[in-house]
Amino acid sequence: MTITTRDPDREELMRLLLAIARSDRRAFQQLYQKISARMFGLCMKLAGQREVAEEALQDAFVQIWHHASEYHSDRGSPLSWMLTIARYRTLDLMRSRAVRRTGGEEHLEHLEDQRSGPLDESLRNAGAKQLTGCLDELSDVQRDSILLSYYRGLTHDELAMALSSPIGTVKSWIRRGLMALKRCLER
Amino acid sequence: MKKTPERIESLAAEYVLGSLKGQARSRFERWMMESGRVRQEVWYWEEKLGQLSDQVPAREPPASVWQAIEHQLWPQKPAVPSTGGRGLWPAWSLMATAAALVLAVILVQQPDPQALPEPGSRLSGAIVQADVSDPLWLVSESGGQRHLRMRSVAASSAQTGKDYELWVVPAEGNPLSLGVVLVGDVLQVKLTDEARTMLHESRTLAISLEPEGGSPTGAPTGPVLHVTRLHEL
Repeated sequence: MTITTRDPDREELMRLLLAIARSDRRAFQQLYQKISARMFGLCMKLAGQREVAEEALQDAFVQIWHHASEYHSDRGSPLSWMLTIARYRTLDLMRSRAVRRTGGEEHLEHLEDQRSGPLDESLRNAGAKQLTGCLDELSDVQRDSILLSYYRGLTHDELAMALSSPIGTVKSWIRRGLMALKRCLER
Repeated sequence: MKKTPERIESLAAEYVLGSLKGQARSRFERWMMESGRVRQEVWYWEEKLGQLSDQVPAREPPASVWQAIEHQLWPQKPAVPSTGGRGLWPAWSLMATAAALVLAVILVQQPDPQALPEPGSRLSGAIVQADVSDPLWLVSESGGQRHLRMRSVAASSAQTGKDYELWVVPAEGNPLSLGVVLVGDVLQVKLTDEARTMLHESRTLAISLEPEGGSPTGAPTGPVLHVTRLHEL
């Protein structure tokens, strides 16, 4: 079993969350200063729209204020817990507003045209380094569909379009890819 | 659909990835509520896939986002005393966020708030709302500090079936009701020794919206519309 990258700020974030659970507003502001840029980067990457990303960031912090006491270590590091909150909120907003339908087509075509495939090379490499190299064991299409879902929030329909493949095929790439990933991570 | 280990495993992964959506997503969320095993699986993937977010470049959000967060959580900035759990205050300040932005000031002509008032000195002030030019109520002590006199000026009646209720909010412990406040009327509230001492210590009044006739429980049950921190002149 591998130990996940130890976040040097982990203790500090833990301390801030505890204080926030006791309604400490100063701690809440410190937390915002510490992680809002990372969170906003993630929301922006996912939504591709400033307005949605800003709203998701706001909602995520309001949730953190109200639910700080619900964090526990089974939920991963404090940072990953908070980023997860922001990510789900962004996905919700994107879907409720049908973000892709407005100006999304162009975005997808653009993705499709790229020679290296629809994913930034930097993110693909980065993804490979994380997850202890297990992504490398997946086929290209499995890995790309997983990373596109994660980073861009593409739905099955959108993936099918972006990867020019039937939706059933895309679904099974994701499902099998994820299960292969888990087998590898558990080794 | 039965929760087989295989289904839990694969749906949890897709839930976290975000590719599970619509009704399937809601159905799975119910599974999460029902089963610790399902939650464990979700947390596993949140932690694993969460590592992917390490690689996304940070971007500084605009300052307006923090302002919006503060405004959403604490619309009445100045009225809330220091943070940290002191009695009912955190809950009260959160309840007050539901109300319209109200700035209320009570002027205290009282040099030492700890001591009981000297004969002749009295509290007075106004409850004002930011978007209304006249005060909603004028408040003053009368009758040798035995009474609090509230005269409604610009206050409008509570909706049908509701009443405004006035409270003294102590530094610690439960608020003490001073009774229902009628609009278009002068209200004389008799201050018990307890209420008077409490008021001079905490210098805080609040008005909540309650069922007709006032709170049935003796504690505020509706939204707190106005929280007023007293200021010394």
